[in-house]
Amino acid sequence: MKCHVPGPNVKVLGRTIHALARFGDELYLESLPDSILLRTLNAAESAYAMIKFNKNFFSHFNYNFYSTEDNEGLKCKISMKSALNAFKSPTHMDKQVENLEIKLDPESSKLIFQLKCKHGIVKTYYVSILDCKAMQAVYTKDLVPNRIISSPRILSEALGNFQISDDQVTLEATNQSLILRNYVDANIDLTKIIRTQISLKPSEFDSYTIGDETTITFTLKEFRALLAFTEALNLPLQLHFETTGRPAVFIVHNGTTFEAHFVLATSKPDSATQASTQNSSRTDKKRKEVNNPVGSAKKKPHLDIDISKCLDEDSHLFNYIDIPEEMDLRPIKVTIDGNSGDKANDPEENMNFDIPGSPTSRIKIKSVFKRCFENTFDPRSIERIVLAENSDSD
Amino acid sequence: MKFRGVMIDAGPMREFTNIVTIISKLSKECVLRLSDDKLYFIVSEDNSGPAPPVLWCEIPQDIFFSEYQMIGIDEDHKDIYLGVMSANLAKSLVTLKSAKTLKMKLTKKQCPCLTLEIELPSSTSQQTRQVTHDIPVVVVPRKLWSEFHEPRVEAPDISIELPTLKQLRTTIDRMRTMAQEVVIRASAEGRLTLQIKTDMAKVSTRFKDLRVEAFEGPIDHSDSETETQANEDISKICHCRVDAKKFSMFLSADQISHNRTICSIVHKKLVILCLHTQENVKLQCFITGIVY
Repeated sequence: MKCHVPGPNVKVLGRTIHALARFGDELYLESLPDSILLRTLNAAESAYAMIKFNKNFFSHFNYNFYSTEDNEGLKCKISMKSALNAFKSPTHMDKQVENLEIKLDPESSKLIFQLKCKHGIVKTYYVSILDCKAMQAVYTKDLVPNRIISSPRILSEALGNFQISDDQVTLEATNQSLILRNYVDANIDLTKIIRTQISLKPSEFDSYTIGDETTITFTLKEFRALLAFTEALNLPLQLHFETTGRPAVFIVHNGTTFEAHFVLATSKPDSATQASTQNSSRTDKKRKEVNNPVGSAKKKPHLDIDISKCLDEDSHLFNYIDIPEEMDLRPIKVTIDGNSGDKANDPEENMNFDIPGSPTSRIKIKSVFKRCFENTFDPRSIERIVLAENSDSD
Repeated sequence: MKFRGVMIDAGPMREFTNIVTIISKLSKECVLRLSDDKLYFIVSEDNSGPAPPVLWCEIPQDIFFSEYQMIGIDEDHKDIYLGVMSANLAKSLVTLKSAKTLKMKLTKKQCPCLTLEIELPSSTSQQTRQVTHDIPVVVVPRKLWSEFHEPRVEAPDISIELPTLKQLRTTIDRMRTMAQEVVIRASAEGRLTLQIKTDMAKVSTRFKDLRVEAFEGPIDHSDSETETQANEDISKICHCRVDAKKFSMFLSADQISHNRTICSIVHKKLVILCLHTQENVKLQCFITGIVY
């Protein structure tokens, strides 16, 4: 494969790489006869990003440059660091770079980025290929009940209210409002952290359809990264999500040349910590508690499938069983190319029923032994202690 | 115990944010005292004993708040004392500069919280959005209130108006790189001298023609080896050696738009720096003198 990226698009590509770098440490590049796909997965496997550049993104695109017979597509995995080296400052790239040539030879062990800059400077980066495999997540972005189209600015402004130390955000979507809240883990001392809640009116968004009112929690770090990316490109952000436990898919596209999908795993809000920061949402809280058992029941069979899909002997990525915290609900199934994908199906699935479901997940443990936690941890009692100490009565 | 306050004007909201930001730079924790007519931010050092607090800030509520209601515990204890992480408060108020309204409430949400409800305009439409921050606070029990009483200090020997804080701060920050302690010397003739001494050098910066607010001279220099220039009347000079870092920290308050800053010195014992703003906010810093 050989392709040329014109100057202005190099900037877009650079921004893309930088956004992906905030997701994962490895970059998967796959070339199809008519497009290039960039993918990454974060270390916790709770966030996945895929960006597809169509043929017309490039000034020149030749899939068969090295006369490949392979119609499956050319694939390679490179380290994110080396990719970043080639795209050091995306904001200025369009001024310096006139043309970028990317070459991928199926026989070679290097991926070549050649930047032709102003004044005849040519920078060539030979990036080592770590692997020749592709990784792909399977998720549904269509046919979901909840869709929001928003200018990224609205959301990034809203996130500006959160503390830098906040790592997860809870999104409560109802027909009346979209409430963003920083997620508070049950183990965190409530007297140490600020609980923040932002209520956005549906009319702020370009489009707002909530078919199934729900509450989802996902990571902030990746959310911030994808928002920064979208904001830089000044494109609307589409958010598609179902319910707790199903992935939230963020889509950015400019119609013809490229399309980006960011998939974030969502986890169940911990009812014990779901300290609704607004008194008005009392009723919602009750509704949530009713919903929760349903959610956890759904989650189980789902989980087993996920693990089985994630497991693959040949893959370096998925050779462990421990599933990180946010991962437990992730329906992302990963199929590694060709035959190995088939192999993964049967024997592994059986094996996986023996695996205790996500032992690392504190959230899960809490939902299983919820009653225990409630008995010992009664928030009201804590309040009483504080007040008793003050000997203040109001 | 109840508290509720509403701010609707941009100016006071900006000032309030600035004040809280300064306080968060000076100290990790502070005590917010709410009384009928004033809000107080108090920073006192641990185990300071009878010494005055490090910082004492008074904010009149009627200029800042359009609505202000509070009920204390009982008739004898009308005030509310809240311990709060000043950084938490400052971080939550960052957006206040563009806000439309701010509501402050004392709430109980699993733990006592100071709830800030900020109404922010949306950048893209005419809509507003509601941001709520629940900042955990500690209700200071009555038996500890005495630690946060108004500071009673000796009458200062001299009160002199300071030159612009920015200028003073650059001077002090240069000096700080050389020495940890600075001698502040003020004379009844309106001269202020900042002096540091190192093994290598003695550096002093003089400011002239400053307004002297009060002078309770003459000063007794009998027990000290005060150096002075020949043409100065020693009995009109008052000095105090303080930690340069603490002094510099107060000077960062130049971000608050202020009318005047007064430096009061109790000879060799204490420096009181007091900043007055147009809105009648009084920000006082107490720096105890270092005596050898």
